[in-house]
Amino acid sequence: MASGEMARDSAIPRQPAGPDDPEAARRRRQAALRRYTRHPGFMVGATIILLLALLAILAPWIAPNSPLKTEMSLVLAEPSWAYPLGTDQFGRCVLSRLIYGAQISLQVGFWVVLISLTCGTLIGALAGFLGGWIERAIVALIDIMLAFPGFLLALALVAAQGSSLTSVITAVSIAYTPRVATVMRSVVLTIRPRPFIEASHAIGLTKLRILLRHVIPNAMPPVIVVATVSAATAILAEAGLSFLGLGVQPPTATWGSVIANGQAVITTRPLISLSAGLSIAVAVIGLNLLGDGLRDTLDPQMRRQTGAKML
Amino acid sequence: MAGYLGRTLVQLVATLVGIVTVAFFLMRAIPGDPALYMLGDFATEEAVAALRSRLGLDLPVYQQYLVFMERALTGDLGRSVVTGQPALAEMLSALPWSLSLAVAGLAVAVILGVPLGILSAIKQGTWVDMTIMLVALMGISFPVFWVGLVAVLFLSHHAGLFPALGAATGGGFWTQIHHLTLPALVLGLSVAAYIARLTRSAMLEVLGQDYIRVAHAMGVPEPRIFFRLALRNAFIPILAVIGVTFAWALGNAILVEVVFSRPGLGSTVLKAVLARDYQLVQAGVLVLATGVVLINATLNVLYGVIDPRMRSD
Repeated sequence: MASGEMARDSAIPRQPAGPDDPEAARRRRQAALRRYTRHPGFMVGATIILLLALLAILAPWIAPNSPLKTEMSLVLAEPSWAYPLGTDQFGRCVLSRLIYGAQISLQVGFWVVLISLTCGTLIGALAGFLGGWIERAIVALIDIMLAFPGFLLALALVAAQGSSLTSVITAVSIAYTPRVATVMRSVVLTIRPRPFIEASHAIGLTKLRILLRHVIPNAMPPVIVVATVSAATAILAEAGLSFLGLGVQPPTATWGSVIANGQAVITTRPLISLSAGLSIAVAVIGLNLLGDGLRDTLDPQMRRQTGAKML
Repeated sequence: MAGYLGRTLVQLVATLVGIVTVAFFLMRAIPGDPALYMLGDFATEEAVAALRSRLGLDLPVYQQYLVFMERALTGDLGRSVVTGQPALAEMLSALPWSLSLAVAGLAVAVILGVPLGILSAIKQGTWVDMTIMLVALMGISFPVFWVGLVAVLFLSHHAGLFPALGAATGGGFWTQIHHLTLPALVLGLSVAAYIARLTRSAMLEVLGQDYIRVAHAMGVPEPRIFFRLALRNAFIPILAVIGVTFAWALGNAILVEVVFSRPGLGSTVLKAVLARDYQLVQAGVLVLATGVVLINATLNVLYGVIDPRMRSD
């Protein structure tokens, strides 16, 4: 901008709530923040996830015992001060296993979101933005992938690759990427005809630049919602795989495997399976509340799109 | 309508070919030699070589693919490595078990989920809406296998209302129904929660349309607005919701079958996975995916029958 223009700009009397007014910007930010803090669901969800993340990170200091140490004299012990939720059939502290289990669940949630979101966003955005035969090909491929029930696909992939944290994350990511891509494409389709995209074409921006700088950033709100929902789905899928014995292998503590171990003794020691299931539910409820809250505050228009296509 | 049916049919065939292709490459995702993987570490070299040639693994990949496709389209999905039975036949014998569970579960889900979702949307913002949505949130958040375990613990062990096993070995029709009830309820309730949430959104979207506001402004009576305008227009999205949840329900049915030790596609696939019987896994994945595709194609035709707007593309 030339200095002459700058001078002319500053000569214009400042409007009290102009778009560049720092005071107004601050007020807008506050108003936006208030929309979140006044959404009870969002606040509850955010608190749950924050606490769980702290629990997972600080596990070595919080857990009362080692999650792996077997105490054969204390097999299936009743809850006590030393073992607040008792011990399992190998004499391991159930509470400690649940605390360490949060690490696995949250890691799976985090990585699956990161991977499926990055790939799904790019694939979906490319399809929606480019159109033509590329779009038709991508859509056809996505439709084929969506015909496989997500959990079944993850199960088959884990079976093929062997069970480890990496293969669980890869399998669940592959299963859920097409779902993210579908959402992304439908969002981009609503953005593409908007005037500012047309204007970007008109002033001669390259397609890549328009896609990266204008289309994808404007499609982010629904995608952020999808991220939280897919983290919830991923945690449930990991728990299911662990429950079936196909997740991260023993003796690593995972919530699903604690339920599976507890199943054998569920009539005499129901607390083991019950507490592990509640841990999963709390994490998933937290993420779902967070997702619902973000959806309500970011963009009330996109309810159906994101919900239905993520299953 | 004929053109619409034709398009749906072409799409159906194309998707089926695609599914077979994905299933083919799924088997190739096994690192190393699938034959060695399936037979375990102690297999003799001859056995591995025999299995390799039986699976066609000694051919170049493109030939393997063509052979696989040709056989798959004629209904030959190979043989189970463990039992030697045709894989498709083994899957089809498990199908009635899964189908009855899926249909019963989906019936529970639709009967509960759709009316509750509609009620929630009409009463938006009231305590009725909040209660239904809170319950639905719990429904989608509790792992379905855990709900199954808890149901067995309380309703079978403590209350003695239902058998803990999801299938009777003998017995007449009513015995089977009695065994099916609990698994169907467990599967149905989790799906009902999804359906309720999505139905509410679909209904809210319709209720927010201009023509509904115009009808209100013109003084059209409430029940008439609801039944003639809102419900009819929300029908397609609700059908779509049911279609989407079907695939999801099939995935979850695996876990429900395992918890209730019920035979079916899911438990057959799981057993095959644990036995490294990859031919059988592949067949199971194909059968389930084909089921999803057929349901979706049926729904597509239904949309066209119900809503003429859907026929033009």
